[in-house]
Amino acid sequence: MRVTQGMLNNSMLHNLRQNNAEMHRSMEQLSTGKKINRPSDDPVVAMRGVDYRSELSKVEQFERNMSEVRSWMDTSDDAMNEAGQSLHRVRELVLQANNDTYEDEERANMASEVKEITNHLKEIANSKVNNRYIFNGQNTVEPRFDADGELIEDNINNDAVMIEVSDGVKVRANIDASNAFSEDLFESLDGIVSALENGDLEEDADDGDATLNEYIGQLDNHFQSLVNERADLGARMNRIDLIENRLTQQNVTTSDLLSKNEDADIAEVIMNLQMQENVHRSSLAAGARILQPTLMDFLR
Amino acid sequence: MVTSTFHGLEVARRALAAQQSALHTTSHNISNANTEGYSRQRVNFEATNPFPTPSRNAPQMAGQLGTGVTAGQIERIRDQFLDFQYRAENNQAGYYESKADALKRMEDIMNEPSDSGLAKTMDQFWESIQDVATNPEDGGARRVMQQRGQAVVETFNHLHDKLTDVQGELKNQMDTNAGQVNTLVNQIHQLNDQISRVEPNGDLPNDLYDKRDLLVDELSEYVNIDISYESNGGHSKATAEGQAIIRLADDNGNAINNGTLIDADNNMQGLEVQFDEENGEIVSGVGIGAMDENGNVELETEIDAHQFSSPGKLQGLIHANGYMNEDGEPTGDYVDMINGLNEMAYEFANAFNDQHQAGYDLNGDEGSNFFEPLDDSSDAAAMIAVSEDIMNDESLIAASGSGQPGDGSNAQALSDVRDENLEGLNDQSVQKFYEALVGDLGVKAQEANRMANNTSSLRESVNFNREAMSGVSLDEEMANMIKFQHAYNAAARSMTVVDETLDRIINQMGIVGR
Repeated sequence: MRVTQGMLNNSMLHNLRQNNAEMHRSMEQLSTGKKINRPSDDPVVAMRGVDYRSELSKVEQFERNMSEVRSWMDTSDDAMNEAGQSLHRVRELVLQANNDTYEDEERANMASEVKEITNHLKEIANSKVNNRYIFNGQNTVEPRFDADGELIEDNINNDAVMIEVSDGVKVRANIDASNAFSEDLFESLDGIVSALENGDLEEDADDGDATLNEYIGQLDNHFQSLVNERADLGARMNRIDLIENRLTQQNVTTSDLLSKNEDADIAEVIMNLQMQENVHRSSLAAGARILQPTLMDFLR
Repeated sequence: MVTSTFHGLEVARRALAAQQSALHTTSHNISNANTEGYSRQRVNFEATNPFPTPSRNAPQMAGQLGTGVTAGQIERIRDQFLDFQYRAENNQAGYYESKADALKRMEDIMNEPSDSGLAKTMDQFWESIQDVATNPEDGGARRVMQQRGQAVVETFNHLHDKLTDVQGELKNQMDTNAGQVNTLVNQIHQLNDQISRVEPNGDLPNDLYDKRDLLVDELSEYVNIDISYESNGGHSKATAEGQAIIRLADDNGNAINNGTLIDADNNMQGLEVQFDEENGEIVSGVGIGAMDENGNVELETEIDAHQFSSPGKLQGLIHANGYMNEDGEPTGDYVDMINGLNEMAYEFANAFNDQHQAGYDLNGDEGSNFFEPLDDSSDAAAMIAVSEDIMNDESLIAASGSGQPGDGSNAQALSDVRDENLEGLNDQSVQKFYEALVGDLGVKAQEANRMANNTSSLRESVNFNREAMSGVSLDEEMANMIKFQHAYNAAARSMTVVDETLDRIINQMGIVGR
């Protein structure tokens, strides 16, 4: 084959251009850390990339939802713990008062303590998380009790607040307030206060009012339903622990997939770049040597 | 019997003249070593007719005596078969390069996979819906959802705008390309004209041939052409090329009906890209008609876009931009992508609105539309907008399924819309449909890039062969120059010898004893 200077020149330029294009690709991969930068680099990787990204955004969102669920549950749990202790104190007081050794005056003091505890329980029932009433079902913007401690009938709601914590998995974030803070509970407490004030002891059982003894029974029932609700919540808290573990696992797996799918293998790219650089250097050197001399240099 | 006294002088003179013309041609080659399209030229030396020529009264001699050399003709060294190969690859490369360019721009616009494309905006919108689902009574979360919805809408609008912008640019490019074809045809026509005046005199206009071939090479990048030659008559040499007749050719190289660009009488026809009357972005066909020397085209016939089968830059642009297929439906890379986005926007907005209407807003009222309702999918990606009511009052977002402010079940259902299989999207979810759009684009662009690479490297290799045949090698020219210089010097020396012999007989003979 006849090869002219022009051809040497052109093919050197062509090869240099090609070397540059390859090095540019490696440089792009190194500086972005990505194997591909446009769909045509690898359509399958690009498609999967879109998919994995959504998947990851989902998992991260569910983790965010999860912390919301947690704050509901933790606050509910604390509140119910407090409510339980309060009921316990009421029961102690009622037991004490039921004892004949106390004077009316002392019972009146007890009555005012029970009154305070009742108010406290109402405050607990009006607890808020992030400015939301958590013990009023789905009606989270309105309180269950007004400022005077009166139950607001219209506001009462005991529906479940469901939050999605994993694809298709919804968890109840609130508790059933009708079990923990029932109207009956507050009626009993009010009854206890008036019983203490009136001194409705065992021997006056015939005047129609419930006796303190009977109230103890009622209190036990209320306490039991509070404990049941708390146990239910505890079980759900266990469940979300499991889901949270799974989410963390999913986050790791998906990030891993995303990374494997589109992240450049830096070591490999650097190796390639090194090789491309060698080729580039040698082609420059070869070009410089071959293009320079002509027959003119030797004709005298 | 001896020959003329001055025979030697004449032989030497002819040698001087012939070697000199070779030296000049060498010099011409060297001068044009870097001229694009130039083919090296060679002087064909021929020995002149010997003496005596056989005839009845031919002088009796020992044999025929050589009479020297003449420069027969000056030829360019070129292989038409390589030209043919080059042009065949050139139009393929042109087709795929313009297509790859257009698709590359589409990839830039779609910007996937990245953290700023439509997929990401949809992800963020979905996240904000989930936030509303967990905090349905929170105005902040609703505000975020409203704004993220606005971002989705704006991304749709932006993609649609940009894609249509590029279509507009492609349209300009097509016009420019057709204009370029016309200019080239005009220039070839002028060269045909000049050549037709030289050839009948028995000369070979090598440099005009080179120029014409270069123009035909350029033309072959825009459209595939079939080229044939017709003799100019007169005293044209057998090696004279004649008039170039140029016709549009399909991808098998067969001439297209009505597609003659330059006919045997050197009449020209020009091209003009025609656009659909209803949808100005879509190519309906390529008009063709007589063209005068000022480049004015009088359209006579129109080749329908789907029948315009001449591959090259022009067809690449037509296919990328969008054209009417046999059924009168617009098709093409940009049209497909825009239609895909339109359908996606339409179906998504509809499904989202349906779900939104099933819920209750923060005031306990039934939900209305989240997106402004769309009539049909045409231009839906450009028209889609968040409803004005929602933009003015985020509490109208229907997050609740029960009417209670603390319920986020409808927001959850809204967040599921993205993964819901929609009938209008071939039973795919919005998410999957979009992935498929991006995947399709990737495959198309990859294919176009690959073919552009392949065809351009094929073209390079044919060009390499062509250069090997026709390119000027300076070393070779230098060697030739030395060769001709020596021959010239030697001829001059032989003339000197004849001169001396003449001096001997004229000035020094017959002077015995003087």
